[in-house]
Amino acid sequence: MLRNLTFILKSSMRNRRRSVLTITSIAVSLCLLGVLMAMYRALFFGGPETPAQAVRMITHHKVGLADVMPMSYENKIRRVPGVKEVMLWQWFGGSYKDARDRRNFFARFAVEPDRFFTIYSDVAMPADQKAAFLQERTGCIVNAGLARKFGWKLGDRITLVGDIFPVTLEFKLVGIYTDPENHEALFFNKEYLRESLGADSPMRDVASMFEVRARNIADVPRVAASIDQMFDNSPAPTRTESERNFELSFVAFLGNLKLFLLAICGAVTFTILLVSANTLSMSVRERLREVGILKTLGFTQDAIVGLILGEAGVLALAGGTVGIALAALLCGGIRNGVSGIQNLRALAMTPGLALTALGIALFIGLVSSLIPALGASRTTILDSLRYSG
Amino acid sequence: MSDVVIETRKLTKEFVRDEFHVIALKDADLEVRRGDFVALMGPSGSGKSTLLHLIAAMDRPSSGEIRVLGQDLRALNDRAIAHWRNVHIGFIFQSFNLIPVLNAIENVELPLKLTHLKAKERMEHAETALTLVGLGDRLHHYPRQLSGGQEQRVAIARALVTDPDLILADEPTGNLDAGSAQEVLTMLSRLNKEFGKTVVMVTHDPHAASFAARVLHLEKGLLLPEGQSAEWSASQPAAS
Ligand SMILES: Nc1ncnc2c1ncn2[C@@H]1O[C@H](COP(=O)(O)OP(=O)(O)OP(=O)(O)O)[C@@H](O)[C@H]1O
Ligand SMILES: [Mg+2]
Repeated sequence: MLRNLTFILKSSMRNRRRSVLTITSIAVSLCLLGVLMAMYRALFFGGPETPAQAVRMITHHKVGLADVMPMSYENKIRRVPGVKEVMLWQWFGGSYKDARDRRNFFARFAVEPDRFFTIYSDVAMPADQKAAFLQERTGCIVNAGLARKFGWKLGDRITLVGDIFPVTLEFKLVGIYTDPENHEALFFNKEYLRESLGADSPMRDVASMFEVRARNIADVPRVAASIDQMFDNSPAPTRTESERNFELSFVAFLGNLKLFLLAICGAVTFTILLVSANTLSMSVRERLREVGILKTLGFTQDAIVGLILGEAGVLALAGGTVGIALAALLCGGIRNGVSGIQNLRALAMTPGLALTALGIALFIGLVSSLIPALGASRTTILDSLRYSG
Repeated sequence: MSDVVIETRKLTKEFVRDEFHVIALKDADLEVRRGDFVALMGPSGSGKSTLLHLIAAMDRPSSGEIRVLGQDLRALNDRAIAHWRNVHIGFIFQSFNLIPVLNAIENVELPLKLTHLKAKERMEHAETALTLVGLGDRLHHYPRQLSGGQEQRVAIARALVTDPDLILADEPTGNLDAGSAQEVLTMLSRLNKEFGKTVVMVTHDPHAASFAARVLHLEKGLLLPEGQSAEWSASQPAAS
């Protein structure tokens, strides 16, 4: 096969206009397919899992996020072998300014400032701001993107009106951090929430989520299992999952979209399969005479099939490569253009996706040329030679 | 291997297509010896090409026996026949049949791709063959950049590059002007005399046939006994 490469390459560019059209049609379809696959991946598998994220887990009530666990779980979890640190990770919710304006929505969590940076080892913030976050009970920190969006500066006052928690909290912005995933979020000291709730509030000593950090990635499954096992027979059994999995469970409701995306991907693949089958069978017919010549020289049917498939493969891979490059550009554009859908920020043409798309392109090329290739290879020498195409 | 290179007995080829039924070759008995240069002549439709195709194993006989280079061709399957043809046969067409996207040396190299030769050796062999046919200075020309005569010489180089025992040519000068035809015939003659190749050539042209040592005539699918020909033919039994 390799020794026929020059021949294959030259053959594939024989009719330049048609080859360019074939490559273009495959490229355009693969670009579309690539973007759709990247969207599918970004929405349902999230962005790439960073090493720092890979060691993080979320522990919550087995039944769901509305059920709570006793705060005492935190220390028990900390003693599980393989756990490096654990911290309360309490969704606060509430509203900022006019909640009807969707732009005013962002994530808000009560956390433990002294443990925060051990858990989020990939979050960066100047040392003096870290110190301020530790010291100031009403201090809060926000992601740099969020600060930019609202024009917040250090020292600004931010007020959140609670909904789950019946309190109104006023924070002082003491830190602006950067995180690799650029999640729009605000974190504040859990003690401030506890105090505001009052001594007899039933919400004071319960937790809806803990963020757990394992010592190393290999420990993660075992640690998660140990934690859940420990509370299995208690009144509040837990479910511990990787942070990545946890994030993704939020898009589970997009199930219809999932099917929709898959359907479009399938339709695009099928269409391009038909189009290229048509083009390739035409180009094979035109060269039936050459097939006769090659056979006269001693090429076997298999060798002929190999040559034709090889040629289709070259066209498909060329189209695929161009399409994937375009898709990568488009993904970049979309990623920087949208801010509303958090998950689409992970939109990217990863090497894995690119390879998959290239594989699909190759598959399309091979499948669509297989029937013409078999047909041509089975035509008798004399019939092929008589063909004047 | 015996001295007999081609041996056929009652070789018959019928074409059956839908309603009609043509006997292209009937009970042909042919014997060609090593080193022979045979011209096959006869009117259009007399079965010359059919006989040549059967000898090249490009088609299978309807009945009768055919041994070429000691091999019973009916005993080989398609794959074995392809390989056999690659090794033993050099075929030259009337219409050259070069691959247009390949240049001269690549066209000549093509049959060597089926051998175990390395790329460098293949190129060397191809260059030698092209030099032999006088095209050492046209190695990288594409078919469309060559004259008909040059194209046919490239085709001859392609036919001889594998060093086959048998060279079969179907009206090799049919598409050429007199001068080019003369070159091609001289070349076939050289291959026969200097390199000892056995050559079977189909031709309409008595002048071309005059290069051959033996001239055989076909008439309506019948191979006439040697020396015998239909009245139309200005046959010359042998070149002097
Ligand atoms: N594939 C085929 N199907 C049907 N009939 C065929 C086929 N090939 C050849 N024939 C018939 O067989 C007969 C002999 O054909 P062949 O090509 O051998 O003649 P030829 O002597 O080479 O003629 P020419 O000088 O025109 O090339 C002709 O009548 C032809 O029509
Ligand atoms: Mg003929």
